Amino acid sequence: MRGLRRALVAVGLGALVGAILRLLGADRTPTEHGGWRELRGPELR
Amino acid sequence: MSAPTPPTRRVAVIGAGIVGVRAIRELLSPLGGLGAGPAPTRPILVTRRPDRADQLRSSFGDAVEVRTGDRALPHDVGTVVVTRASDDQLDVVTEQLRHGRDVVSTADAPDVVSSLLGLHDTAVRSDAALVVGAAMSPGWSCLLAAHAATLFDRVDELHVARDGAAGPACARQRLRALRGTALDRRDGAWVRRAGFSGRELVWFPDPIGGRDCYRADLAEPLVLVPAFPTAARVTARLAATRRDRALAPFPVLLPPPTEGGPGAIRVEVRGVRDGERHTAIYGALDRPAVAAAAVAAVAALRVLGGDRRPGAHGLASVGGALDMLRELARRGVRAAAFEGAHSLDVDDMGPSRG
Repeated sequence: MRGLRRALVAVGLGALVGAILRLLGADRTPTEHGGWRELRGPELR
Repeated sequence: MSAPTPPTRRVAVIGAGIVGVRAIRELLSPLGGLGAGPAPTRPILVTRRPDRADQLRSSFGDAVEVRTGDRALPHDVGTVVVTRASDDQLDVVTEQLRHGRDVVSTADAPDVVSSLLGLHDTAVRSDAALVVGAAMSPGWSCLLAAHAATLFDRVDELHVARDGAAGPACARQRLRALRGTALDRRDGAWVRRAGFSGRELVWFPDPIGGRDCYRADLAEPLVLVPAFPTAARVTARLAATRRDRALAPFPVLLPPPTEGGPGAIRVEVRGVRDGERHTAIYGALDRPAVAAAAVAAVAALRVLGGDRRPGAHGLASVGGALDMLRELARRGVRAAAFEGAHSLDVDDMGPSRG
């Protein structure tokens, strides 16, 4: 019974830590290749 | 396509929220090359709230006629811009069409947009033009799609993504869209997909940059599919954070802000030109309320100028996308092209053929 309780607590803590890391983890995005250029001149003629 | 110029040059804006008030300001600013004849005379702004009316009267003075309640509009009003929350638009639009007025609607909720497109026969019978979804997205996105399509011999796919929301009604609609069921066009058939599915990293113009975007219940496919009958795939996605996703099932306790921060749209068009497959990507960055108001006002000025198509159509179907984009750019609402490793170099394509 005691072992089961410990296992449940461990699983719960693991899930909590996982959820926190997932929500607050760094949203690092890959490097962008290329770039944006304003539409002007011939493109709007 | 063009009908005779309407005899009246007065515009009314129904809905005095953040988009409606900005639309009035756009209507007061001088006309560029859009529409023939003089600028519209003293626009009317209709609000349901007397306290808001007093506030607006002191702000606009005599330049704008501020009205309250649902009194009938004067007979010299030829064009009406409806900027109320999407759910409140259908009755107003129907009534104005029955009076034979041209209507520009900023509705972005798919069910409302679908109902408005269903008013096509009513509009044709009244010889009135109904422009559906004249906001940032749909609206500006439709103009960019129409303009990008001129680079191709055949358009195969359109993919639209949006980040941000305008006023409180728009923020509520954004949340509903993410919690709803997306409607994608795939191989000529409508396919329903769960909201918050299909995560895709989408690059918006700087400084917004990369954002995770998800399927959502958005109106773009409804207005883009009729404009691009050859497109086998039409999708729309909405930017959201992991936190939005995790908290989606729970009620929102905090009210939405009066105005959201900067928003962006990205329109990706894939197709064939000279027998080769290409991709063109256009994007735009602005405050959603500013962009939506400018698009609605420019669409109204175009209709008022006599360039109108009776019936209910999205902005990609009414024609003149280039004129409207040029007028938007003149008003400071500017678009951009993405030059990526695999995107189409629009300079190499020469001037667009639209």
